[in-house]
Formats: sequence, structure tokens, C-alpha cells
Amino acid sequence: MEEQEFTPKIVGFLCNWCAYTAADTAGVSRLQMPPSVMVVRVMCSGRVDPLFVLSAFLKGADGVLVAGCWPGQCHYQKGNLHARRRAAMLKSIFETLGLEMADRFRLSWVSASEAPRFAEVAKEFTEEVEQLGPTPIWDEVFL
Amino acid sequence: MPEGLKINKGAEEAVRELLRSLLESGRVNGVLALGRTGGSNGGVAYSLFTDPDAFRVDGTALPLLPFMPANAGGLLSRLTLREPLAGPVAAVVKPCELRAFIELVKRSQGSLDNLLLISSTCGGVYPLDVGANGDLKERPPGYWEAVKHGELDHDVRPTCRACVHFVPDNADITVALVGKEDLDTQCALFLNTEKGAKFVEGLEGTPLSDELETEPIQRSHSQRAAYREELFAGVEVGMQELIRTFGRCIGCHACKTVCPICYCSLCYFESQDCEYLPEIYETELERKGGLRVPPNTIFFQLGRLAHVSVSCVGCGMCTDVCPADIPVSTIFSKVGTSVQALFGYRPGKDVTEEIPLMTFEEEELTQVAT
Amino acid sequence: MNDKGAILPAEDGVEAAVVGWLKEALNKKVFDALLIPVQVPAEDSFAYLLLQNPALLENASPLPPVMPVQGGKAISRLTMRGNGSKRIAAVVRPCEARAAIELTKLEQAHLDNLWLITVDCPGVLPLSDYLEDPAAGAARFAEASQRWDRAPMRPACQICHRFSMPASDLHIGTLGSADGTVFVIPGSPKGERVLESMDMPLEAALDDWTAQVKEMEKAQMERRQQAHADLREGIAGPDGLLDVFSDCINCHNCQRVCPVCYCRQCYFESAALKLPPENYLARSERKGALRFPPDTLLFHLGRASHMILSCVSCGTCEDACPMSIPVAQVFSLLADRAQETLGYVAGRSLEDPLPLATYEMDELHQVEQPYVEIYHKREVQDA
Repeated sequence: MEEQEFTPKIVGFLCNWCAYTAADTAGVSRLQMPPSVMVVRVMCSGRVDPLFVLSAFLKGADGVLVAGCWPGQCHYQKGNLHARRRAAMLKSIFETLGLEMADRFRLSWVSASEAPRFAEVAKEFTEEVEQLGPTPIWDEVFL
Repeated sequence: MPEGLKINKGAEEAVRELLRSLLESGRVNGVLALGRTGGSNGGVAYSLFTDPDAFRVDGTALPLLPFMPANAGGLLSRLTLREPLAGPVAAVVKPCELRAFIELVKRSQGSLDNLLLISSTCGGVYPLDVGANGDLKERPPGYWEAVKHGELDHDVRPTCRACVHFVPDNADITVALVGKEDLDTQCALFLNTEKGAKFVEGLEGTPLSDELETEPIQRSHSQRAAYREELFAGVEVGMQELIRTFGRCIGCHACKTVCPICYCSLCYFESQDCEYLPEIYETELERKGGLRVPPNTIFFQLGRLAHVSVSCVGCGMCTDVCPADIPVSTIFSKVGTSVQALFGYRPGKDVTEEIPLMTFEEEELTQVAT
Repeated sequence: MNDKGAILPAEDGVEAAVVGWLKEALNKKVFDALLIPVQVPAEDSFAYLLLQNPALLENASPLPPVMPVQGGKAISRLTMRGNGSKRIAAVVRPCEARAAIELTKLEQAHLDNLWLITVDCPGVLPLSDYLEDPAAGAARFAEASQRWDRAPMRPACQICHRFSMPASDLHIGTLGSADGTVFVIPGSPKGERVLESMDMPLEAALDDWTAQVKEMEKAQMERRQQAHADLREGIAGPDGLLDVFSDCINCHNCQRVCPVCYCRQCYFESAALKLPPENYLARSERKGALRFPPDTLLFHLGRASHMILSCVSCGTCEDACPMSIPVAQVFSLLADRAQETLGYVAGRSLEDPLPLATYEMDELHQVEQPYVEIYHKREVQDA
């Protein structure tokens, strides 16, 4: 494998109220973050349909991140609690079918005031995905 | 309430007689059960019967025939979708069909009102092509011999041989079949609810206080559990393997059409969302050099898993109907089992138990978010 | 319609010649991409690939032994919302091209930037036969198709008389090809331009090939008429038809794989047919029982009434049926009769208007007659 580094393409579904604000603050504060997360702002992590995650992976994302408010702090009371169950279900599907997506999918809670945590999550997750390498289905023709 | 009734007739005869008398006395307005189509192929289909004579010995009804031309849970939904039944209707269905109906009721796709649900401990069903080939005998010889001894005829579908939920949940009346060596001459009806007891009032028989789950049932359970493990272990996992398995998928979506849980009138994967602009195709083509048309073969399968796995009852209609001989049910049951275990959920067990994705706990699944 | 074609050498067989020619076309940028059947990774079927990477042509086949997806449907999915900037050549069987033409008229496909390339077709194997043992199936197909023996093919293919396609943009004539060559015959100005850009002059006389095609068409037509006559006897009357469809489990595979059935939500799956229980019970009372789900014959006859004028008799419906019902045989009989009555042939030409979208003042009086006689109790006046 070449030594050339690859920048993972991670699709990040960030909830407007918490995670997106944190990411925005992190950017404004010039905190060090890899340029790997492609942000999709959603109003709530509960908006994330499992099909979004599947679609992102099947279109070639190296990783998918869903980030929202901490349980108990959801702007809409319970959206993130639904998101947690959906994430658990998706992981179960991926694991049972032996799909790498299990390791390339992450759910994180990041509150609006936790900009450094967002940067940390982005950095950590990027490193994990780098370790896994580019998605094996980037060129897959028979999907 | 008597726990059960023992009738001095063979199981098939007793069930027929029960249904005939329910119709004749007007205690039910109709019965949903399997019956001969009258076709020259000797085929069998579900029918809504109102004529009691259909249940005579020479009538067309064959309520206990081991065949599943459609998942009756979906049919019960069809019957009660627009409105609940105004008067009693009986239905003779298999355990998985009953569980599927419960899952549909939870999704507001049907109503339990006024339904008398009759099920049985199940010895499995034959695959659809047995019917297509005209080989479906009214009394498949190997089948009942196997069932009497708590075993399964080897020609019964693999999905059935791997089914560990063959004792019905939520039936008003359960007909004991598996492991009943005397089922040619005796019929044991278990009356699980007051409704069930009420509807057999007046039927000649002696009270029964046996256990439903006998030793042959437990033995059958272990055998099926072992086969289930084997079958699931045989699923080839990994993305490349999935691509190989679904390589011959023709995108007919029959698996979705026959699935009782897939009730959406317009499936996402058949909606406008999946009708792509030429630019979408061309961008992907530029990147990969090639792409399969029609697209979304794997997306459909994974997406359908995301939608139904939590309620998959392992009825096996999907494998049966697939024109490309893909073992869809094995894959869906395997994933379904994992997802259901994650939430400690048993589809079809309890109509008051919420579907796991419709609810949540404040404190749970803490390991999921990192 | 040209009476001359270009010559394509085919010493290593038709498949190699066609694939090689397509590769050359891609390299010369005559086309930007191809839509062609390619063997799937597990080697147990074929799938249409839209490709521009010539390396993917390694496992491509212009005439695969099976038709898992009807090519007209694939073309429709691709071009439903218009053509892009890429010029695409679709290599399909004649019935698939005819379906694509019908779909274009039905506004479900767009052929402006797409070239239909067809090949003389020996038929395809039934999918279930092939899947039992794909390698053996491929061998059986190769052997039978060489001799133009249709015995192992789909029932619809066995009686097909439209296996050659002069109305596509380019048609590859292989029947009776002598000295290892085949003909590439343009059917449109679009097709002619392709041959020009590939320096393939229209120098071959087609008399021999045309004669062979006509002879085979005649023989196939006889077989078709016989098969339809036999079938009609078997299905005449409600009992006959009910018997044919008695095993139907209402899976609607036939509808979903049919290229011409394009409705996102089929009428027969809509709320219109989802009725309150009283309706079902009342219907059951009439005869003592109601098959459930009901409306099986309504579905088949209704589907026929919706699409029969565009039916290309490809037989994909029958292939997909899990209960081995001869859907395609029944539908091809209905299609031939209905299309004949309206003087229409599905997929013959983009110029033919859809028969139900047009009319003449003075036509089809034979349909009016019974009405006038019964309801107005008078003889029909001759116009």
C-alpha cells in the first residue's frame, strides 16, 4: 500500500443546536481539525433517517458521523434518544452482516459549548477511519 | 375457564367441525382459512369462507394444510385495515402469520377486534414450488408422520426447519399438533383466552389440563435451534459476499411485496426519490467507470433490513417468492434476530409492547455513543 | 431501411466481434458509454452495467443466456428524467429495444442521446433453468443458439417472430453469416453517422441475410399461430382462464418486472382495492367463499387492459412468476390480437402514435355493432 496519506471523506450529520454550533465554534476558534468531515446540518440528530447513513456509505463515504445533543438536552426533548436506538440498530445490522460500516459509523454527543470536544471527536474518528483505509466500495460497480 | 378441550376426532376433522359449526350457528360471520382453488393443478389459496358446507369432509376448506401461499398476517391486515370487523370472524393461521399480524396491528395496519384467532403448533410448510408443480397433496404423507413425532419432514422449507417460534403467541385457540402421536384420532384444543373458550362452548369434548409445551415440543425446539444456528452460520458475510449473493437479484421487489411487515403503499425505493437525474448517473459513471442499472440493489436490501428487521418474524415468504433463488429469509432472519436481541424484543409476542424504534429509555445503550 | 450494411469480421465468434467493435467505438469516442449485460462477480447471472471503462467489457456479453432484467426497463431507469451529456450505446435484444421505444412514447425513457444496438436473437433460457447450474446453462445456450434451436429457450422466445430488428439505430445481422463475418445495419441517420465515424462503409449486400431472416420469421410465425391457437382453446371461457391463474399468489412479480408496467404505484395495489370488511364478507356470501386476497383475475385482466397494446412479448413476466404460470403465453396471445385490431405493433417505430392516444373518425365499426343492435334494436346502417 502506498505511503501516500488519504484524507477520509466522512459525512457528518450534525444537529443544528448542539453539534453544528460546536463545530462552527471550533472552526471560528481555529481549533486544529482535519478537513475530513463533510458537514450536513440537520435540525436534530433524530432527523437522521437510517437510509441517510446507508446512502452515504453506498455512495462512497469512508465514514459517517452522527452528532447531537447529550441525552436529556435535546432541543426537541427526545430526538436524540430515537437517534440512539436507530444507531444501535444500524450497528447491529452492519455487525451481523460483517460489514466494515460497523466500524466506520459513529454516534457522538457534543454540546454547543464543547467546541474542543468536537475537534477531538473529528480528529479521533478521522484517525480511526484512516487506519481502516479508504472505503472498499469506492469503485464497486455491482452495488 | 377450562384450559383446554380434548375432542374424540382427528385434529383436522375436529378443526373442520368446529369451524363448520361456528358458521352454521352464525356465531361467526366468516372464516379465513386455506382451501382448494379448484384449479387443475390442485392448488390451494386462502379464502374468506361464509358457507359452512365448505368445512364438511368433502368441502373445499383445508385449514391445516402445510402451505403458505401468502402470509395470512398480511391478509388479516387487508381484511381489517379500513375498519375493524363489526362481527366475529375466525381465522386459522400459522404462528408466524399471527405474529406478523400483531406487528401490523402495532403499526395501525389492522385491528384485533372481533377476530377469533386459531393457530397451531407448527410443523412447517412446503415451499411454493411444490404447489406450482402440482405436487401438493391434501394429506402429504411424510408430513404428518413427522409432526406426530415432533419432527419435520425434510422437504419442509429450510426457514421453517430453522424456526424456534413454532408455538403461537396470541392465539385464542391453539391446536396441538407437534408431538401429538394421536392426532389422527384425538384433537387437543388449548383455550388461551376467554374469547376462545366462549366460541367452543357446546362443542363435545372432555376438559384438558395438559401442558402445551410437552417434551416433544422441547425436543423439536432444540433440533430447530441447532439447525437455525447452522443456517445462520452459513450466511456469507462481508460486503463482497453480499454483492456476490445479491449479484443475481433482479430488483423485482417480490420479497418486499410478499413481506407482511412491508406495508407501505409506496415503497421508498420505488418512489421519486430513487428516480435519478441523468447527472447523478453520469457523475457516478465518471468516478467508477461503471455502475449497475437499475441501481440500488444493495441499498434496497440494507434499507429494507433497516426498516423491517426489528419486526421480522421469519416467515420465509421472501425466499419462497424470489425468482433468483436468493436465501433472503435466512439473511433477514439472521439480522432480525440480532436487532431484536439488542432491544430484548420479540415481534408478535405482545400487542401492547411498543416497537423498539418507536420508543426509548432515558438511560440505555450507553455504549453506542462515543 | 437500408439494403446495404457494413461488414464486421467475426472469426472468433459473434460475441467477441461485437464486444471488440464496441471497445473500439469507446476508444474512438464514438460513444461515451455503453449499457451492456456483464457477468456478475459470482458468475451466476448477468446485470446491465452502464460503463465507460473498457476493462469492464471483459465479462460483457451482447447476448447473455438469460434476461434477468428487461433491457427496456434498464434504459427507462437510466433516462426517465432525460438524457445527460454522455452518448450512450445500449446493447439489447430486439424485444428490449422495442420496449424502450414503447417506453419513450409513454414518456418513461428518452432516446435522444442513446443508441439502440440490437443483435439477431436466438432467445434466452428461462431464468430458473439457468440458475440451477449457470455454467451448464451457459453451455446449453451457446450450443443451441449456434444452431438457432429455440427448444431450451423461454416459451415466449420459442414463438418469437420479431427476433431481428431493423428499427433500432444499429442492428447486427448474424443469421447465416458466412465466412466469419456479420453485418452492421444502420436503421436511422443516428446509426449511419456511427458507421461513418468508424470508417465502416455500407458495402455489403444484405439480400442473403434478409432472405434468411424472412424465412425464419415465417417459420416462427407459423409456430406462434399454432401455439396461440392451442392456448386459446385451453383458456377459453372463465373456467379456462381461472384455471390458468388458479395458483397465482398475487405477488405481482409479473407486473414489477414488466418493462411496460411503469406506474410507481400500481392501481391494483392502491387504496382503491383496499375495502372495508363488509365488502369482502358480502362478496363471500354470494358464493360461499371469497378467495383472499381477492381480485386475482381482475389484476391480470386489468393489467392486460393497461399495457397489452405496448406488450412486446418478451416473456420476462413468466420468468419471474414463482408459481410457473404461463403469464407471457397468455399475454402474448392477447397482445397479438389487440394490437392487430388496432393496426399497431408495439415497438415497431417511434413514429407510430400510441393507439389509445389517437383515433380516426371512420374506423373499428365492428366494435360498435353489438351496441347498436342491442341497445337501439336496429340494423347498422352502412356508412
